[in-house]
Amino acid sequence: MIRLDHLTKRYGDRAAVDDLTLELKPGAVTGFLGPNGAGKSTTMRMILGLDRPSSGRALIGGRPYHELEHPLRTVGALLDARAVHPGRSGRAHLLAMARGGGIPRARVARVLEMAGLGEAAGKRAGTLSLGMSQRLGIAGALLGDPEVLMFDEPVNGLDPDGVRWVRRLMRSLAAEGRTVFVSSHLMSEMQLTADHLVVIGKGRLIADAPLAQVLATPSVLVRTPHAGDLADLLTSPGVSVTRRGENELVVTGATLERIGDLAHDAGVRLHELSPREASLEQAYQELTAGSVEYGAEGAR
Amino acid sequence: MRNAMAAEWVKLWSVRSTWLCLAGAVIVTVLGGLTLGGAQATEALREGVAGARVVVTDPVISATAFAQYAVITLAMLLVTSEYASGSIRGTLQVVPIRGRVLAAKALVVAPVMFAAGVLSGGVAALVTHLVLSSDTFGGLAAFPPGEAVADLLRLGVFCALTGVLTVGVSVAVRGSAGALTAMFLLTMGLPLMLAMTGSQVALDVSMRLPTFAGLAFMESTENMTGGPIPYPALEGLAWLTGWTALALVAGQVVLRRRDA
Repeated sequence: MIRLDHLTKRYGDRAAVDDLTLELKPGAVTGFLGPNGAGKSTTMRMILGLDRPSSGRALIGGRPYHELEHPLRTVGALLDARAVHPGRSGRAHLLAMARGGGIPRARVARVLEMAGLGEAAGKRAGTLSLGMSQRLGIAGALLGDPEVLMFDEPVNGLDPDGVRWVRRLMRSLAAEGRTVFVSSHLMSEMQLTADHLVVIGKGRLIADAPLAQVLATPSVLVRTPHAGDLADLLTSPGVSVTRRGENELVVTGATLERIGDLAHDAGVRLHELSPREASLEQAYQELTAGSVEYGAEGAR
Repeated sequence: MRNAMAAEWVKLWSVRSTWLCLAGAVIVTVLGGLTLGGAQATEALREGVAGARVVVTDPVISATAFAQYAVITLAMLLVTSEYASGSIRGTLQVVPIRGRVLAAKALVVAPVMFAAGVLSGGVAALVTHLVLSSDTFGGLAAFPPGEAVADLLRLGVFCALTGVLTVGVSVAVRGSAGALTAMFLLTMGLPLMLAMTGSQVALDVSMRLPTFAGLAFMESTENMTGGPIPYPALEGLAWLTGWTALALVAGQVVLRRRDA
């Protein structure tokens, strides 16, 4: 549905988005990950025709955004929840959008209800909390009942209920066969929401794969006063052992049971033997190591 | 196009600043009409010319040189508030064709400003007439209906064109501070500075900048430099329209070239 074709955006000699080629498929939530400044928002803006690519192109159903016959009915996007005139009510904001997109007025009330805005819709947008603004922004994205939805950090500022609502919404939009493209910093959230992941760093594509494939393989944490001995025992083809600190090992490629049995047979005392969930957080950090634009010194 | 205009219409009337600017236009026009009208009447009384009269729409039109800033602010905010809040991106998502956004804003601003001009001018003329008819001013006020209506219609056209001019400049400049500065320079700073140089060429140029061109079109009996405007009314309209078209072209070029 969305195709990026060598999409590139340069500011001076710095490439914000660098030769990005990928395809976003309908019926799935595609998570868009990357460190701050990796080029996620710039990519989304180029898809929407807001920023002009330095080279390459972004196509929606085979056409650039500005050639879409009914843009709002084709692509709904939330880029910046605060991008509303602070003195205008949320309802008027959506009404203006609806008028501009040739969408019936009744749809405004419908999406306000879907987003759970209720009375807040009549308040000046500048007085809304960030969470309420996000809901308004999402309502705006849903306004045209579009086939493609893009959300830039939609759960920022939302309370736990809101986060769950967004997660369910994304899942159900994808289940209806729509293309859902969502960026986030919250790895745990992405792990629960996305089917597919696109990871970029410094504007370049790092990974474009199904979630399951990106997730780190499950591992086992072992705490023992004889870490060195156990590491020697475990090391074999297909098993990797990483030593963490004085008496901790992270083992992949061997089951919990096998490690326990081995330790028992060798008379190695264990203080902890626990499974570690495959985590996107971990996988992401390994993927993006070295491509963090604004990383804090020594934070890793 | 109709959709884009409908969106701009909703946006225009859903913020408080629109009403404040319109109120400002009425207040400044009334005050300007009163002070300038009072001055004209006083002068006529002092000189004691027989049969002297003050057509009340005259001082009102002269006051437009100042009252236009309410119109300018209103038209500017329709553009710059979107850049300030970032909602211009939303606007361009709804209407991705740049020229259509610009045209929609101009086409909504023009009739609203026309109405604002006629209305504020009409109110100011009535108030001025009321005050200048009193004995204090020797009852010099005149309100010849035909002339007054023509004056008010021209005032409306001036406001409409100035509003559209402002839309073009604002789209080109984007920021409120920059747009207001540019508009002030174009409509007041530059013409006054040029007029003050004393050079005939500079004066000729200044007379063709939007404010004086507008005053010429409205057949203002006086202008800020004292002398008459040295060309016919229709030429004034042509100059003002030309400036407006130029501003729209500049706006369109920037809107197409620069990232939103």
